[in-house]
Amino acid sequence: MLLEAKNLRFAYIPGQTVLHDVSLNLDIGDTLFILGKNGSGKTTLLSCLSGILTPVEGSIKLDGHKISDYSPSKRAQKLALIPQIHTPSFAYTVKQMVMMGRAPYLPWMGTPSKMDEEIVEQSLEQVGILELSDRPYTEISGGEQQLALIARGLAQKSSILLMDEPSAHLDLSNQHRVLEIIHQLAQEGLSFIISSHSPNDALAYADNVLLLSGGWVMDYGHPQKTLTEPLLSSVYGIQTEVIYQKENGSSTARAVLPMRPNIVKPESLNETGSFLYELFQNRNNSPQLIIVTGLSGAGKTTWCKHLTEIARDKGFKVEGILSPGIFENGRKIGIEVLDLSTGERKQLAKLRERGKNEIATPRWVFDPQSLDWANQRLEKGTGGDLLIIDELGPLEFLRNKGLLAGMEKLDRKEYQVACVVVRSSLLQKAIERWPNAYVVSGRV
Amino acid sequence: MARFAALIKNNFAKVKNISTIFLFLLPAVIFIISLTMGRYQIGPFEVFKVLLSPIFPSVGDEIPDIARQLILRVRLPRIMAALFIGASYGVTGAGFQAIFKNPLVDSNILGVTSGAGFGAALALLFAGGPLVVQVSAFLFGLLAVFLSFYGSRLYKTSPLLVLTLMGILIGSFFSSMTSLLKYVADPLDTLPAITFWLLGSLTGITWQNLLPLGVIIIPGIIFIWLLRWRLNVLSLGDSEATALGVDPTKMKVAFIIFSTLMTAAAVSVSGVIGWIGLVIPHAGRLIVGPDHKRLIPVSLSLGAAFLMGIDDIARTVLPGEIPLGILTGLIGVPILVLLMRQNRSGW
Repeated sequence: MLLEAKNLRFAYIPGQTVLHDVSLNLDIGDTLFILGKNGSGKTTLLSCLSGILTPVEGSIKLDGHKISDYSPSKRAQKLALIPQIHTPSFAYTVKQMVMMGRAPYLPWMGTPSKMDEEIVEQSLEQVGILELSDRPYTEISGGEQQLALIARGLAQKSSILLMDEPSAHLDLSNQHRVLEIIHQLAQEGLSFIISSHSPNDALAYADNVLLLSGGWVMDYGHPQKTLTEPLLSSVYGIQTEVIYQKENGSSTARAVLPMRPNIVKPESLNETGSFLYELFQNRNNSPQLIIVTGLSGAGKTTWCKHLTEIARDKGFKVEGILSPGIFENGRKIGIEVLDLSTGERKQLAKLRERGKNEIATPRWVFDPQSLDWANQRLEKGTGGDLLIIDELGPLEFLRNKGLLAGMEKLDRKEYQVACVVVRSSLLQKAIERWPNAYVVSGRV
Repeated sequence: MARFAALIKNNFAKVKNISTIFLFLLPAVIFIISLTMGRYQIGPFEVFKVLLSPIFPSVGDEIPDIARQLILRVRLPRIMAALFIGASYGVTGAGFQAIFKNPLVDSNILGVTSGAGFGAALALLFAGGPLVVQVSAFLFGLLAVFLSFYGSRLYKTSPLLVLTLMGILIGSFFSSMTSLLKYVADPLDTLPAITFWLLGSLTGITWQNLLPLGVIIIPGIIFIWLLRWRLNVLSLGDSEATALGVDPTKMKVAFIIFSTLMTAAAVSVSGVIGWIGLVIPHAGRLIVGPDHKRLIPVSLSLGAAFLMGIDDIARTVLPGEIPLGILTGLIGVPILVLLMRQNRSGW
């Protein structure tokens, strides 16, 4: 095994771990993609693997030896880190920039020899930018800069290239050019670890994918197996759709698309074959979750109310709570809570006044007794055919307060069809928590 | 087409080599010219003969003793001091610009000059002799950099930025201290002495002053010369240098120690002479580009030539001597402005 990382843990500040228990392997000619949101730990992982950062726990073996046993120059002869493209302070020519890849082979007082020059020219030739040798690195295009940095990695003569978002800031054709060159170099036996924002590139080029979320490995393996809809949804916090291509009887995932919220009318429950109709039909096989989302005032509660009425008309048992606004002269001044099984109502929140309150969002002050009551109602219910929870907001997702009985019911899947209201700003968190949910636009 | 490109490239390389040779001859030519210049006119051939006379005693017997004494005892040490100091400012300036990734710094960035200025002013205030002034300036120059460096270690984030800030702070602190000394100094006697020292001058340099200068500056120049290609890698920043197998901290500390000793030695002999470390590397980049493998030699020779030339102007244009610090600014600023107009493609 060329590179072997086991149970890595890393923290910049003690107690604030940014990488948890990461393990991976890299063999000759392998291309490993690291995917994850911004801040999920991709760059930190690359820095650990390249020996720039030292993990708090775990081991990294390079060619069978501990990476910490290598001197910086010996390490750089085996493993090259290619940073994101950036502008150096001085306008070195492309050749001078690539020549710096020879640093691990030269003593501190050394200057490059004829042989080094030849290696640099070969490297430039290999990525196809030899004609740019004498151009200032600062003046060539982003794609060419990326290729020059790859050439620098080749001049290092290392067998592993770690690349930090090689296709970032590049146009479509340059992304393709860079990735194709990486692919060809991998076929010649070089190994790559690439941090990327593109699951599509991973599907096209990766042998293995490591999905990171909040510093944890969500999955690690072949892209066709790991890049699945629920996993991608939970990693990125958006609903995704994987597009398959069917060939010779087998289907291959080719692209990952983010999905926009479905526009569904509550009345469509009456239409045979519609999305809602099918969803209610499927509830006998597995619990079905709808997340109703939208900006404040979009009509999420009204949407749920309509659905409740139509479901009841069709004879379904509806449970849960609605929280309609209390309006005065067209201005929302409070929130009510309505128990759908009994029809009882209580005032849940009023506009916030000055001063500190225990259970409050920036706008609303919640009545703890009404919250308790609503939680008890949710706990008591059996779920019925349709469970409505309006709404799970900042209290529940960010402060672990509020309608926690509702959160738990959803976590435990104690429902047949559940319809939960989540505002747009918290949708990511909801999808990360319940990646199998259907997202519906709550506009009426 | 490829052959045509190669042809152009080879010729271009040749042009570069010619300019390099010219750049190396420049200080030698200015060195000889400088020896001829002054109140007492001495021709270049006489200068050669006098320079050879210590080795071949029979050479230049016909030259009057006063000319011989003038060249060997007065002009030669002074011009060699200008050569060493100019070269030192040139290479340390280029090096500092590389390791700080900033084309707008020079060796003063860590406060060495302000510290040395304070040291000299302190010695002058207590009526110290020239040797005391030189030693005091040297030691306070080192102290200022020491304080900047260790002050920056108090903060863990963004070391380069903190180091720059600390250098500016320590520099300002010592400048204020110097102002305080000037405020309390005797306005008839000590104050002019301090003021003139701070303006910089090579008047009255003897072989005695030159010895410590050479002992510190020559090894320093050799070190930076040897480090020159690696400065490219260091100029990419710490994490990239580390990824390329270079230990940036070790290299930087070594560089800062050498260049601080060099600058402190230079300032302690000549007083404050600004601008050379800032302007010369820019001029060098204009000629050979940013590659430090070539930039260091070029900064070395341009720095030496520039200060020898400035010193010639200082001692010949007016009946009295013009302080060097005034001339480097007067001439250095327009040059820098012109270079900035020319060099639009980035440093």
